Amino acid sequence: MQPQATMPKLSLPNIRTIIAVASGKGGVGKSTVSANLALALAASGNKVGLLDADIYGPSMPTMMGINGVIDQATTPLPLDRHGLKIMSMGFLVPPTQAVIWRGPMVHRALTQFLTDLDWGVLDYLVIDLPPGTGDAQLTLTQTVPLNGSVIVTTPQEVSMIDARKGIEMFKQVRVPILGIIENMSYFVGDDGKRYEIFRHGGGAKLAQEYTVPFLGEIPIDPKVAESGDEGLPIILKHPENPVSKAYMALAKTVISELGTMVAPKELPKLEL
Amino acid sequence: MTENNFALFPNSLKKQGDDSLLIVWNDGHQGILGWKHLRGNCPCATCRDERDKPANPFHILKPSELVQPAPTSLVPVGHYAYRIVWNDGHDSGIYTLESLRNLCQCQECIEKKTTT
Repeated sequence: MQPQATMPKLSLPNIRTIIAVASGKGGVGKSTVSANLALALAASGNKVGLLDADIYGPSMPTMMGINGVIDQATTPLPLDRHGLKIMSMGFLVPPTQAVIWRGPMVHRALTQFLTDLDWGVLDYLVIDLPPGTGDAQLTLTQTVPLNGSVIVTTPQEVSMIDARKGIEMFKQVRVPILGIIENMSYFVGDDGKRYEIFRHGGGAKLAQEYTVPFLGEIPIDPKVAESGDEGLPIILKHPENPVSKAYMALAKTVISELGTMVAPKELPKLEL
Repeated sequence: MTENNFALFPNSLKKQGDDSLLIVWNDGHQGILGWKHLRGNCPCATCRDERDKPANPFHILKPSELVQPAPTSLVPVGHYAYRIVWNDGHDSGIYTLESLRNLCQCQECIEKKTTT
């Protein structure tokens, strides 16, 4: 676990709480969870920011209905949208252009997103991490005072294998784990029956395995994908949908878990 | 939140003479680590790779290798490690708290290591 460069700890005094949303695996719905969790926190009266830390494959512009590169001369970043302050690499690079960068550039971009932008005063900053345990994760865990992490998994074993790696990473770098959320947990058909498409109970099992809280189950619903593609997350478009209610409950649980946590102690310094 | 009880934690770090570091841990253990020992066990990828290679009998010492290793700074990394910048310019080693404890050279730890 090596640094890319000299990494002083960033000071972000205007941001009260920073939450990282992570999973080892791609495609489990991290960005959807991040967006809806951020909106649910904002719906509870908080000032919330959302940082899309997926430099190579940013999803937030599409999910939040912000298309095309932002002209910074007329529109300051982070963008105000749906009551959130949002930043993504997708605001700087056209969607058809690939970002082909080595780790130090990812580190630089993320550091700039956090320090060079005026986020204002925030109660919560939700960081949507890319999949894996690579450069973005290292930069953020080494330089940002993260208050906690939320691990997203889908129920099946193949997702949990990678979620375990994410948990192990946070344990190793001593970032508190707020809990595990099982996304795409089940589907309720028109017949009212519950279908466990990707099996069931993986998230709860994982939480038990690591003795961390199980934050809940988010059902799968085609409206989630539809809303995301339309740039209006489900919690805004269909607030009465069970998925939206699950996100509201998730936000409450996250706030409650943060309240029970003791902030990690700063390491003592050595004067030479 | 039981898994978030990161038990091992240093209460203080002090220089012990010119050649070693004293770490007082939260369990009361007083760890001693020589700078030479720490430099020789640098966990960065380059140093690990060098250590894994067979010894080169024709190795020619560089001037920087003749200087007694000493840190120029010791910087906390997140809540889990320290990065040591050495007087030979090397700065890519991140020493996790667990690794600092494992590298301890106090009498008690040396005896434990020799019996296991």
